[in-house]
Amino acid sequence: MTTVSNTCNPVSRRLTLGLAAALLAVPALFGSAQAASMDEIKSRGLIVATEDDFRPFEFVKDGKATGFDNEMIEDLRKYAPFEIKQQILPWTGILAGVSTGKYDAAITAVIITKERLASLDFTSPIADATHYYVKRKDDKSISSIKDLNGKTVGVQAGSALLARLPELGAMLEKQGGKLGKVVEYTSYPEAYQDLALGRVDYVVNTVVNLQTMVAEKPGVFELGQAVSGKSFPAWAVAKGNTELLNFLNGFIAKEKETGRFAELQKKWFGESFPSLPVKWDPEF
Amino acid sequence: MSWGDLLAILQGAVVTVTLSFAGILIGSPVGLALAVLRWADVPVAARAVAVYVSILRATPLVTLLLLLFFALPNIGIAVDPISAAILALVMSTAAFNCEVWRASLMNFPKDQYEAAQSVGMNATLRFRRILLPQIARASLPGLVNEMSLLIKVTPALAVVGVVDITRAAVRIGAETYEPLPPFLVALALYVPIVFILVSLQRWIERRQIRAEAA
Repeated sequence: MTTVSNTCNPVSRRLTLGLAAALLAVPALFGSAQAASMDEIKSRGLIVATEDDFRPFEFVKDGKATGFDNEMIEDLRKYAPFEIKQQILPWTGILAGVSTGKYDAAITAVIITKERLASLDFTSPIADATHYYVKRKDDKSISSIKDLNGKTVGVQAGSALLARLPELGAMLEKQGGKLGKVVEYTSYPEAYQDLALGRVDYVVNTVVNLQTMVAEKPGVFELGQAVSGKSFPAWAVAKGNTELLNFLNGFIAKEKETGRFAELQKKWFGESFPSLPVKWDPEF
Repeated sequence: MSWGDLLAILQGAVVTVTLSFAGILIGSPVGLALAVLRWADVPVAARAVAVYVSILRATPLVTLLLLLFFALPNIGIAVDPISAAILALVMSTAAFNCEVWRASLMNFPKDQYEAAQSVGMNATLRFRRILLPQIARASLPGLVNEMSLLIKVTPALAVVGVVDITRAAVRIGAETYEPLPPFLVALALYVPIVFILVSLQRWIERRQIRAEAA
């Protein structure tokens, strides 16, 4: 048996302090990570991370990765003079992986926020991500924003949508209401399922994701109104990796020029966003 | 759900079984080695094993895996998702297996060991002929219990991009917006996997009983 005693002898205290110090040292290790330079990328290839359950941006159909970003990556393979290595993983590990240098870029819909700008740099936006709410079609108690007063909302944990819920809170307070209970999910499929089951009353996500979902399940869900100001998703690279950022922005600019960008947006989002900004400075 | 989806879940089953098998195959003997170090009270090593087991038993698998996956590259060790997943499984299961093995070691009758000594068996032979066959039998139920738990924590490995049964099911739900059918298929796959493992345990036990009766 390990000696776990309540009496704090000097040795175990020293051990505890040592362990605490070791734990504190771990974030320092993370912080020291270096983003790969363009030369390094040219020799070993560009490592991009994508998600697997964020339809229509990236999802898996019949075991094959597809969606807007995956088709963009196909084009990127032709455009780039070096190899593109793709890793597919859940949202949880993506941003941590990019800021620690495990992946060079997150080719997924990362909403640009002030907080994320502290550790990441963003490319030109790839879509409109204004936040909307979705409700059950048969729920007659919700028809406008003010009806969301006190209702339970489902949203993804660690997402920009969660971070910007106070905006909706402010909208409700103006009309004498308030934000209800917030339930956080690791990803959106669970949130939609809980909405269908009645455990939450509405789910907040970007307009593109919700339109796709409602188009697929028109009998169950209904799209509501916008619950945030302007918001845009983009691809992310580690803070200060300007060379890679310029390379990816050059690629996006070329895709826009050839009309391929609008074509893919139309295919996956149902509409193209011709007036997307080239660079976006978020308010939040 | 299409046939392609079903195939994707089956591919996930191959990953689940392979990773679990690797974890069990490496983790059990490592656990035994750790247990012997503690049981024999090897100076320093016994103490280190005790600390290792205490820390690993208190560490959630997901946390351990994220730490390995994101921290190891910082000290110059490149690690891909599969290796990180196997390493995390082995590190975690070895700690639990160590305690199962140690329980049987502590209950092992000392007089048998001394008898073997008195007829001049050396340490290796004593371990192989006298100790191991008996503690293996005593540890089997505990080890199989830990193995079945290991199979069921494999969905946690998805966090670094490993696509096991559950992750394959999640992906299908995200594509079809119908998560229930793929989850039912997933469940239907875990049941036979664990059942086979438990049947194997029964088979070994029956064989031992028959061998003793003969």
